[in-house]
Amino acid sequence: MSTNLRVVTRRQVLAGSAVSAAALASGFPAPAIANSDPIKIGFLPALTGPSSSTGVGMNRGTELAVEEINAAGGVGGRKIELIVRDTQSDPTKAVNAVAELAQRQKAAVIWGPLNSGEALAATPLIAREKVPMIHPCWVDQLIDVKKYPMAFRNAPTNQQIGAAANHYVMDVLKLKKVAVVSDTTGYGTASVDAYVPMLTAKGAEVVFSGHIDAANPDLKPDMLRMRSAGAEVIMPWSVNAGFLARILNTRGAMGWDVPVVGQTTLGSGQTKALLEKPDYWDKVYSNNFRNVCFNKDGKLPARAQEFVERLRKSKLDMGDTLLWWIAVGYDAPRLMAETIKAAGSSPEQITGYWNQLKPWPGVYGDISFTPEQHNGFPDDQVIMCEVSSLRDGAFKLAPGYGA
Amino acid sequence: MIESIVSYGLAVGAVYALIGITYNLMFSASRVFSFTSGMLGMLGGVLGSLFITKFGLPVVVGLVLVLVCGAAIGVITEIVTVRPVLKSLEQHLYVLSTLAFALMVQQLVAIEWGTDAQPFPRLIPIGPGWLDQQFWLPMLACAATIVGLEFLYRRTLIGRAFVAISEDSYAARALGLPEQGLRMASFALAGMVGMLAGFTGGEMLLAFFGNQPTLNFYGFVPVALGGMGSNRGAVIGGLALGLFQQAANFLVGGIFAAVAVFVVFIAILLIRPEGLAGAATTRRV
Amino acid sequence: MAVTDPPMATRIANAGRQGRFEFALPWLALAVAGAGLPLLDDSYVGVIAQRACIYWILVAGLNLVVGFAGQIAIGWVALLTVGAYTTAVLTAGTVTSAWDPYLALAASGLIGAVFGGIVGLPALRLRTFYFAMTTLGFATIVTQVALAWKSVTGGGIGTPGPVFAWPFEPGWGFYYFCFGLAALATWMTANIAASRFGRALVAIRDAEVAAEASGIAKPRLLMTIFLFSGALAGIAGGLFSSLQSYITPDAFTFDLSVLFFIAILIGGRGSILGPLLGTVILTVLPELAAPLVAWSTFLYAALLLVIVLAVPGGIADLLDYRNRRPLKQHREIAPRTELLPQLLGEHRDKAAIVLSDIALNFGGVRAIDGLSLEIRSGEVHGLIGPNGSGKTTALNVISGYYAPSSGRLTLNGIDLPFKAPHRRAGYGIARTFQTPRLIGGASVIENVMIGGTYDGEGSFVEAMMGLPRHRRDEAHINAAAIRALETVGLGQLATVRADRLQHSELRFMEIARALMLRPKFLMLDEPAAGLSAEEIRRLGALIKAISRAGTGVLLVEHHADLIFDICDRVTVLNLGKMLAAGTPSEIRLHREVVVAYLGS
Repeated sequence: MSTNLRVVTRRQVLAGSAVSAAALASGFPAPAIANSDPIKIGFLPALTGPSSSTGVGMNRGTELAVEEINAAGGVGGRKIELIVRDTQSDPTKAVNAVAELAQRQKAAVIWGPLNSGEALAATPLIAREKVPMIHPCWVDQLIDVKKYPMAFRNAPTNQQIGAAANHYVMDVLKLKKVAVVSDTTGYGTASVDAYVPMLTAKGAEVVFSGHIDAANPDLKPDMLRMRSAGAEVIMPWSVNAGFLARILNTRGAMGWDVPVVGQTTLGSGQTKALLEKPDYWDKVYSNNFRNVCFNKDGKLPARAQEFVERLRKSKLDMGDTLLWWIAVGYDAPRLMAETIKAAGSSPEQITGYWNQLKPWPGVYGDISFTPEQHNGFPDDQVIMCEVSSLRDGAFKLAPGYGA
Repeated sequence: MIESIVSYGLAVGAVYALIGITYNLMFSASRVFSFTSGMLGMLGGVLGSLFITKFGLPVVVGLVLVLVCGAAIGVITEIVTVRPVLKSLEQHLYVLSTLAFALMVQQLVAIEWGTDAQPFPRLIPIGPGWLDQQFWLPMLACAATIVGLEFLYRRTLIGRAFVAISEDSYAARALGLPEQGLRMASFALAGMVGMLAGFTGGEMLLAFFGNQPTLNFYGFVPVALGGMGSNRGAVIGGLALGLFQQAANFLVGGIFAAVAVFVVFIAILLIRPEGLAGAATTRRV
Repeated sequence: MAVTDPPMATRIANAGRQGRFEFALPWLALAVAGAGLPLLDDSYVGVIAQRACIYWILVAGLNLVVGFAGQIAIGWVALLTVGAYTTAVLTAGTVTSAWDPYLALAASGLIGAVFGGIVGLPALRLRTFYFAMTTLGFATIVTQVALAWKSVTGGGIGTPGPVFAWPFEPGWGFYYFCFGLAALATWMTANIAASRFGRALVAIRDAEVAAEASGIAKPRLLMTIFLFSGALAGIAGGLFSSLQSYITPDAFTFDLSVLFFIAILIGGRGSILGPLLGTVILTVLPELAAPLVAWSTFLYAALLLVIVLAVPGGIADLLDYRNRRPLKQHREIAPRTELLPQLLGEHRDKAAIVLSDIALNFGGVRAIDGLSLEIRSGEVHGLIGPNGSGKTTALNVISGYYAPSSGRLTLNGIDLPFKAPHRRAGYGIARTFQTPRLIGGASVIENVMIGGTYDGEGSFVEAMMGLPRHRRDEAHINAAAIRALETVGLGQLATVRADRLQHSELRFMEIARALMLRPKFLMLDEPAAGLSAEEIRRLGALIKAISRAGTGVLLVEHHADLIFDICDRVTVLNLGKMLAAGTPSEIRLHREVVVAYLGS
């Protein structure tokens, strides 16, 4: 009897204290905790289905990171087991997968979903199951410290993205008449809904705003309407490469010389492949992130340069995707591994650690969280790049852009 | 703006008309409405892009290969989904067997080819502008198909055999016509026409697995309105649909254009269930 | 029947009781498994089970449309979408003040019913494939509207789903809510399936003209089913929005429509248990192995193809052991005409159907040219003539399928309406068909009970809830059907699947079905075709007894012997014109008839 009590007491002490953390860090096994078990990270990418381009790109980075960590011995001797569940770009499958990951697989932490529509459905359930989660989706509503205390975002919000793009259009290019357009997905419509008021508040004239079905092969009617409304710049928000390519192709076919400022996918290899003429890629500026772009001297920041070298060595394909997708996919498991090594793998330990996260140096971004702010990406790292400058998966900063 | 509506509308309308003819060819031979018509159109674009862009074959070789695949798939469709069902008592099961087959192929394409629209190669270097070959190629294909079919039905023996089977299959069989062989040939022909539609329309619609349900529906509208089995009705209906759709796109924008097309379609069918040019149903009792 | 055979009613009752136990066993198993699921304490299983229950609520309703009524409604996810958004928007409080979730759920059911009616409307006028396409179009439209109507639905961003309070809170509480509603839906649809409405739906699907002739009004019944099915789908949608916590238009994929549709066909049409198992299987299948998720729709389609080609009857067919028992080989049809007064009723007024100078043109062809005849109660009136002489056409005119170009058709002086064949039953006019129209997959007694549909008094809702008036109806129809089968001599085949019967037995079955209407007039279209000489003799005796019991019989036939044996009057047609009319002996000697028809 007394022995049991002692074990229980010791277990409680071990579970809660810094002693435990140190023990894990140094890899000494503590008696009541089985720690040769793998650390389970649940991963919810959309690898198939209409919104799979982000998922495929991020997946490459994630798998690379997990390989590297495991090759180096894992986390305190424990391997990372990445449990991948393809959501197929379908929120219903995402919900099913969350239930499996949380209950069956007992995942310690969840990375994803990677698309906003799925994340909107999955986040409440993950919160109910009390599993810590990180996701890279941009839709503002996804993070709510009160409703979802264990949900964190390691990418910018729609507000941050829109602010950067709007700043470029109005303050750098000095244009006032704007056409804002998106596809009909959740992300696209949310973006337009958020950005139009932001533009108007800044003093722009939104001469055209609308949503176009991405499967529509002919964008000429809408583009002609934009032109006759007097648009000086087109701002498209979509992750659909076909849709964006069609906008650029139509602009070129019309001979309409206006800049296009919008979503990062404008610069992806997929979009480039669908262009009818290479020069249709001129005068196109997209969001991107300082850490993965060429600076004034034409060089990548050291971390990114090293990362690209490693990608080339492991023969990872970058041509048909975006560098920052691979980078954010790479950063997430690394952050999670470091967290578990430093703090432990219970939900409270993980979220406690994240809530105090000082700028964590990721390849993609320097992430920091506070208990009140779970959006971890810094404002000043959202920048605009010139899409036609694509080289080795990275871009130059857009002309006229501050350093 | 008018040139855009006319050129694009007629071009995409020609694609719809060709899909309608595909429906008709299969229907005439077997009294079966096959869900594989849209599938053939989608495959025309996908296979064309595969052969010409990915494998690097010349355009003409790619076209011939695509047509051969069309004939093969048409024959497979007949053997797997139509023949076994026609033998059973429950004839309407063909709706399900062709639907199942079409869905399987669509999912296969989605998984193997990818869910993003891939580029379709430029076939002839003429254009751009409203005389771009991406516009008049489908119209040319449509005209050639109609002329070819007319020639087939009126001047050749096999064409007249097709007509006989479609008018009265019992009598035709009594006369010794090989109904099964003719049906297979009809489906092969339908396969080729469907592939041709997707191939010539590829530059507009891209190589995209999602084209299948679109073409299924928009290719069916001309048939429903023009009367089943009537190729002329399919062409007129298809071109009219293309123009209407484009005009709606301009006037009300993409989302509502689809709604507009659909509402008009339903309204017409409710008023005249046999279509604008079709004949009333035959004796049931 | 041998002396040792127990009375017919007892046999059917015993078979029924046994069938009821076999019937109840799978339901009991499902109920126990479902109620006991929380014991597993596995919330993953809980989510999947909730999903299966929600999908089944929708599929239970859709089953009546697709499996029973035979409508190819492929785009049914449109109604799930409508229901989901209705509940979510009402509880979110973005458009109106926030509603109570249960009321919002009820509103979903109501709106689902309305949309079910709208989607179903084309089915009343269009053929199968056309209707299938319109449902697909509806599914697209609803998704587009959900995307475009941002102010209400939230557009692409979507809207949060409702959270139900204790005791149905998210987790096992909500599971019990879904399970309870699923059980309710199962019970209601099973009641309808076993009722005369369910049988009438199957009749519309497989033997539409026979259904019409039995007085079943297709538009009204179909519309009722669409409304009911839409309501179930709407409620399923409301529950779906709660399960998803947050709904966006991209959750309502075409793949879901495919799942619903295929679950019914895999399960087997005309069954409740089959589609339920189908739904559960298709919901669980992708979860069995992670790679299956990407291939799930491909697998569904492949399953559908296999089912259509190999086992069109689906799971229900595979489970149908009873109909694999061999039948007695040499069966005799022995009508018992002494049961007729009990079946048809004792006191019957005299009446007459009169055709005056009926003419009918089909385009340029004059199918009937000046036909006048009378069918009187208690008489057998024969109508003979070569092929193409217009006999069946005349019968179809009397049945109301064709409107004559000129002439009058009256019953006791009142003009009969045209182009409304389903109203003939109300006038006491019944008929059989040149080719037997039957529901192959149903039992013989279920086929005959189709004839009793018209007499039912209970409403659809009463049938759905199993209320007393409906149960009384069923007992009456059942008893009358047994009596009708014994009358025509098919009593021992009552529980056998109709498509296992011989051709001659089917002809007698049609007569039994027609007799269920207690007809004042019975019209028979070549009933002796394909019968043996002895069977024709018994048929003749039966027809004669029917007429002597007070029914007026019109007998269209080729068999001259039968005509001359039992007819009181005979009319001869040739090329649409009346060649001769009179008593059999007069006709036999009539020179023109002899030359044109009988041969010298």
